[in-house]
This record gives sequence, structure tokens and C-alpha cells, in this order.
Amino acid sequence: MKRRTFLAGATAWGLGLVSRPGRTADDLGYSAPPRFTRPETSGEEGGLWALMDREERNLRRSPLIVRDGDLQSYVQDIACRLGSDHCPDIRVTLVRTPLFNASMAPNGMMQVWTGLLLRVENEAQLAAVLGHEIGHYLQKHSVERLRDIKSKSAIGQVFGLFGLAGAVGQLAVAASAYAYGRQHETEADRIGAQLMHRAGYQVGEAAKIWSNLLAESQAAEGKGANGSLLFATHPAPPERRAMLEDIARSLPDGVTGEEAFGRHVQRYLDEWLNDEIKRGQYAESLVLTTRHIARKFALETMHYHRGEIYRLRGRDGDLDLALGDYRNAIENDKPYPLALRGIGLIQRQRGQRKEAIEMLSRYLELAPAAPDALFIQSYIAELNS
Amino acid sequence: MRGLLLAVLALSVFGCASVKKVESGTNRLGERFTISIEGAWNQLDFPGVKPAQVWTMEGVTVDEFLIFNGIRDGEVMNSKSGNGKQQDFVFRKSMPTEEIVSLFEGVLSRDNAVFKLIKIEPYPFGGKKGFRFEYERIRKTDNVQLRGVGFGAVDGGDLFALLYHAPRLTFFPRHQARVEAIAATAVIR
Ligand SMILES: [Zn+2]
Repeated sequence: MKRRTFLAGATAWGLGLVSRPGRTADDLGYSAPPRFTRPETSGEEGGLWALMDREERNLRRSPLIVRDGDLQSYVQDIACRLGSDHCPDIRVTLVRTPLFNASMAPNGMMQVWTGLLLRVENEAQLAAVLGHEIGHYLQKHSVERLRDIKSKSAIGQVFGLFGLAGAVGQLAVAASAYAYGRQHETEADRIGAQLMHRAGYQVGEAAKIWSNLLAESQAAEGKGANGSLLFATHPAPPERRAMLEDIARSLPDGVTGEEAFGRHVQRYLDEWLNDEIKRGQYAESLVLTTRHIARKFALETMHYHRGEIYRLRGRDGDLDLALGDYRNAIENDKPYPLALRGIGLIQRQRGQRKEAIEMLSRYLELAPAAPDALFIQSYIAELNS
Repeated sequence: MRGLLLAVLALSVFGCASVKKVESGTNRLGERFTISIEGAWNQLDFPGVKPAQVWTMEGVTVDEFLIFNGIRDGEVMNSKSGNGKQQDFVFRKSMPTEEIVSLFEGVLSRDNAVFKLIKIEPYPFGGKKGFRFEYERIRKTDNVQLRGVGFGAVDGGDLFALLYHAPRLTFFPRHQARVEAIAATAVIR
């Protein structure tokens, strides 16, 4: 079944490869091992598989799984094209958590967190992360890592490697202490780039991910950077970015798949942005939304949510910035209902009765079944009296 | 001496919680806030629980009844837990209702829980002009899906509120009517 999906995907993708120069000239020469068979349960690798199988069963029951088949199979197909012969062994699960993270366990369980999907800009960037994780998988880095870790107390370290849901707080700590070594990371980056290239993606996109994440973490106040688990598990972004740029020069061309990616994530953006904003890391969230606005991605949605961030941060002048963003979100012929509400509520507080009534009424017209419909009606009645 | 010191340390390390039964009937929660209850509620006390009072019917890992008894302007609404990096949520007496509900949302999402507002409506609470809201929440520690209801009003610049949440399948339906009844008995003086 998965095999078939993969072949179908590969055929459709073939179009993107037409203009690509010959494979051999610009190849890094990586050849993946043949598909893995389940190891003996008695051995240490078998034990790790069994542990991960159990975690996978737990994960599948989690209410945080994104159960929509479309998005899951979209990401699964990308992983499949990257994994090539290993496609049937890769099982992608999307987890609703507003942090940038992906991981792949030795039994083939791959997790992609929605905070990552909210941050990458196209298919190629997503493929860069998936390809990197598949690189760890193909080289059995986790098994090597397990051999390094001799003591029993190290079980938490193993969990740390795979970003298991449900323990996000502790995980960041565990992950930072027990990441893969630098050598593994570099190898996974190189393999990831190679897999991206063979699947027809623009390898240069990989480096952009790190630029974008760096910009977010630099904006973060105080200790900052707790939004990205990959920062905790993966070393020195600037160095890595330079290396990836270097690799990209030897693997040119390819597509970014920006439009297709945008189409697939569009209807989740509200939910993911709500989750993002609730982290309370406003400086990071502002960088993120501003970046998407600059690239004209989901403009109304991004403007509305950036307005929310300003409103919630509530520093001097933030309410005016919020108003500006809300107004941008209602500019075109399909106004964003919650932005109408946002303007209405601010103008109500500012005593701008007329505009408050107008905006709140328009909001209710567009969203009559909104959770706060009765409440907004009471505001309108109050303003009218 | 040494024994005592160790005992004190153990208390603070394990965040020892004490539980006491709440008497049925009229409960004066503070100078200005009274509710009438029936049923076997337990009040929990442990370090960092403030500013809310936490009651439970089934045990604190199952359901929670949070009582906010006159939160003052500028007071932090969340308990002092977490790693210190997290946002504190501060009540301001100038806040309109929608911002107060956002505050509760923030407080209840502070453990990275997923929160969804289902409904918010005007509601006379404690004899004052107040609000009522319903919500869903996925608790991050164990991924349990909770359902909740909250009531509140601001009077004289202080916030009074009751929130109850419990697993949505069995426990919330079991106790919702009881909680709604308690909210109806609230008096703010
Ligand atoms: Zn890695």
C-alpha cells in the first residue's frame, strides 16, 4: 500500500526532475543500506525497537495526533520519496505541539510536530528536515548512540532522542543533554541533502531553515530559544548553515514546492498559530508571523494573528499595531471575521462607539455561530443603549 | 534537629500536599465571597497552589475546582510553577471580559495544554454582572481530554471566579450540574 503511494508520488514528481542535470555528476555518492529487518528482541537493538513499538502504540492513542488523512499522507509521501527503498518502513505521525521538532526512531516511527510545519516555507524545507532524520535512521545512529550509553539510567536519554510526545518540558532538558554527536549530525545533514537532491528538491532551502530559526531565537528575550527542540538536540546553527550552503552549491537545481506546501497547511494555520501564541513567547511569534507576511503567505491569517500577538503583549503602542494588523486582515473582499471582532473590541474600549458597533455586527454576520456570539451581542446592545 | 531538617526538606522537595474535607453548606471563602456546596469536596493545599484555591471531588489528577477569591489589580493569576521561562498572567481591573477569559486560557495552557474556548456568554454571577464560559482542554502530562466550565465577575476592581474541569467522558457530565448549582449560589458582597 505504502509502496504504491510511493510509486504514484514518484511518477508525479518525475515532472520536476526533467530539467535536472545528470545524477552522477552532482551526487555526493551516498548509497543507502538495504531495508532493515526486525532485529532479535533479545539483543540491544531489538530491545530498542520493542521500546519504540510500545511508544508508537501510546502515541497513536494521543489526542494530539493530527488525524486528517490529507496532510498526513502528504507528509508521508514526501518522506517516502526521500526514503526511496525504505519507504514501506517509514510511518509518519503528525503531532500537535507548537515546537520545531521532528524525529525518527529505529523501528521506522517518524514524528513531525506542527510547530515545524508552521515554520518551514515549502516542501523542500520540510524535506530537508525529514531527509536529515531519515539520514539518522539509515545510518542507525540511535543504535550506535544506545551502545554509547551503557547504564540503565540512560533510558531517558533514548526517549530524548525521539521527542516522545507527552513529556515536552522534560524532553527539552533531556534532549539538550543527550543529543546525537556532532559527527552524526554532519553525516545526517549530508545524507539529508543527498536524499533531497535525488527526490528533486532544491538543496539550498535546507540552510534557510537555520537562518529562519536563528532569527527567531535571536529575537527571544531572556534565555530564549526554548521554542526549538532542534536547537537543543542539534549543534551550532551558523556552522551548520554554512556547511549546508556549501553542499547545496555542489547539488544545484531542484524545486521548492512552495505552492503545494501552502495549499496543504492552509486550513490548519489558525489552530497552529493559536497554539504558537499560547506559548507566550511573543518576540519569537512576531518574527515568525512577520516572516510569513513578508513572503505574502496566508496574509489575512498572519495579519490577524500578529495583531493578536501585539494585543496580548500589550506594551505601549501595541494596541495601535494590533489595530493596523487587524485592518490589513479585513482589507480585501473576504474579511477575516476575527479581525473585525478585534477592531470592534479595541474601539469599544476606546469609546469609539460607532465603529465598535459596526465591526462587531459585521463579525456576527460572518460568524453567527461563534463561541462568543451571545457575549458580543450583549456588547452591541450595551453600545447601542 | 537533623531529623526535623530532613523532614522539612522532604516536604519541600516532594511538594507535599495536604487534603482537607470541605464542609457542606454555606462556605465563606473570604471577606466578600460566599458559595453554598453539597457533596464531598476536598480542598488541596500544596506549595505554589496560590492564588487559586483548589478543590477536587475525584482527586486532583482527575478533576479540579478552582476558586479565585478576589484577585487584586496587578496580581498574578497562575501558580508559581514551571521553569521560570513561562509567561505570568496578570489581572488588571481595567480588563474587559474577553481579556479575563484570555487570562484563564493562558493560566490553563501554561502546562502546554491545548485549550479551546467553546462558549462565552453574559451571566449574572454572585449577584453581579458577570460571565460564563465553557472550554475543552487536553492536559499535556497525560493527554487526557478535559471539559470545563467557568463563572466570573469583577466587582470593586477585584476578580471573583469559579472554574471546574474534569475528563470529558465520565467525570465532567457527572459533576457539571453540581458545579452549575454552586455557581448559582455564589454571593459577592
Ligand atoms: Zn539530527
